[in-house]
Amino acid sequence: MAAYIAGDKAAFRELFRRYTPLLLRAMARDLRSPEEANDLVQQTFLHLHRSRLDFEPGRKLKPWIFTIALNLKREYFRRSKRRHETSLDDDRVAEPFEGPRGQERSDASRETARALSALPAEHREVIELHWFGGLSFPEVAEALGSTVAAVKVRAHRGYVALRARLGDDAPVPHGIHEGKPSIEGSK
Amino acid sequence: MDCTQIRDAFVSGARPEAQAREHLASCPQCRELFERDAELGRNLAAQTTRPLPSSDDLFEQIEGKLARETGPRAWLRSRPSPLRFTLLLLPLLLVLLAGGLLGQRADLEHYPMQRVALLLCVYFLAIALAFGKQLSESPRGHALGDYVGLLAFALAVPALAAFAPATEVSRRIESSGAFGCFGYGALLTLPIALLLWALDRDDRPSLRTVCLSAAALGLSANLLLELHCGNGDWAHVLGGHASLGVAWLVAWAVTRRLSRARGRP
Repeated sequence: MAAYIAGDKAAFRELFRRYTPLLLRAMARDLRSPEEANDLVQQTFLHLHRSRLDFEPGRKLKPWIFTIALNLKREYFRRSKRRHETSLDDDRVAEPFEGPRGQERSDASRETARALSALPAEHREVIELHWFGGLSFPEVAEALGSTVAAVKVRAHRGYVALRARLGDDAPVPHGIHEGKPSIEGSK
Repeated sequence: MDCTQIRDAFVSGARPEAQAREHLASCPQCRELFERDAELGRNLAAQTTRPLPSSDDLFEQIEGKLARETGPRAWLRSRPSPLRFTLLLLPLLLVLLAGGLLGQRADLEHYPMQRVALLLCVYFLAIALAFGKQLSESPRGHALGDYVGLLAFALAVPALAAFAPATEVSRRIESSGAFGCFGYGALLTLPIALLLWALDRDDRPSLRTVCLSAAALGLSANLLLELHCGNGDWAHVLGGHASLGVAWLVAWAVTRRLSRARGRP
């Protein structure tokens, strides 16, 4: 970021390369089309450019970028007076995996995406930033202007609600990872 | 091990096992991820591998827009926020000073100065708060209350002031009509409105911008008129002074609508 503030154009390309996938993954889930998602990312980088002199050296960049993106996203929903009636998720979960196990994974993915979309915004936001934006909980707290303890409580409530929504009959995507994490006695 | 490493382990498929057990003992939210054979953790991890919307020419589009970021407005809106705040407050102070000196109300020397000072302080603090909120880059949250409250204050207080008991001197005063006061307030706050627009970093004025700008400009106009006009008649104050807040609200709302219409494909 320091190089970018100093006028290094390559540094901006690097920022774009590093943060665009994270922003798209975390922010685009509630939007109706890829164009809307790209527009939001574009606005985020324009805003970042305009506010680059506000960036304090030594501060973490990732929460700051996400603060800008979240402010823009909230305004986007206020402007369009809606919140993800039809999200990108509905299209993307329909993308098939191969084979019967793939179908199982696709079902689980769709169920999870739906359950996530149905969460209250304050819970969903924390989970999306942590899981899809790659932010740690202290970074999520910074991005949202909240405390780490409050953010963890919101994540916990979100997880509990997600598990309740997924219920007992939701398909579990077995074998998504070869070495899936499992802790004996944690059940 | 911490929550982020647990998440990373789910995403990468590694086995955190021994170290995770210690973390799980003290972390209720991560424990939820491991319930029922780690169902939730694996489902959320699966979401992180899903395809993203295509962004092939996005960088070129942004570069194109950045190349057009030139001129006075681009320079002003890219200044650090404390400087933008100062650039907004200083001209307002100058306008207040000039307006107060040039078009001073006839009964000012008879007017209780504590009342004037209190009014100046309350209005000026509310204006500074509105400017500060509008120019800040801090997280904005979901609540509308923080700016709708300020707007309600800016609209209600000058209207309530119309029904405050008038002093003996102000009852005898003959001042310009309501239309004259409206024009005087609008004209003097117009440069502040233009500056506010130039310093705002959003391309499309948000609902927040509309409310905060209208609140700040409405209060600024009423502050100017408080120093300019001593007419205490309620119809005059409502029509010529308090209505300026509503007028600025309408002006910003129209600007917002026009910008939305222009931004639509």
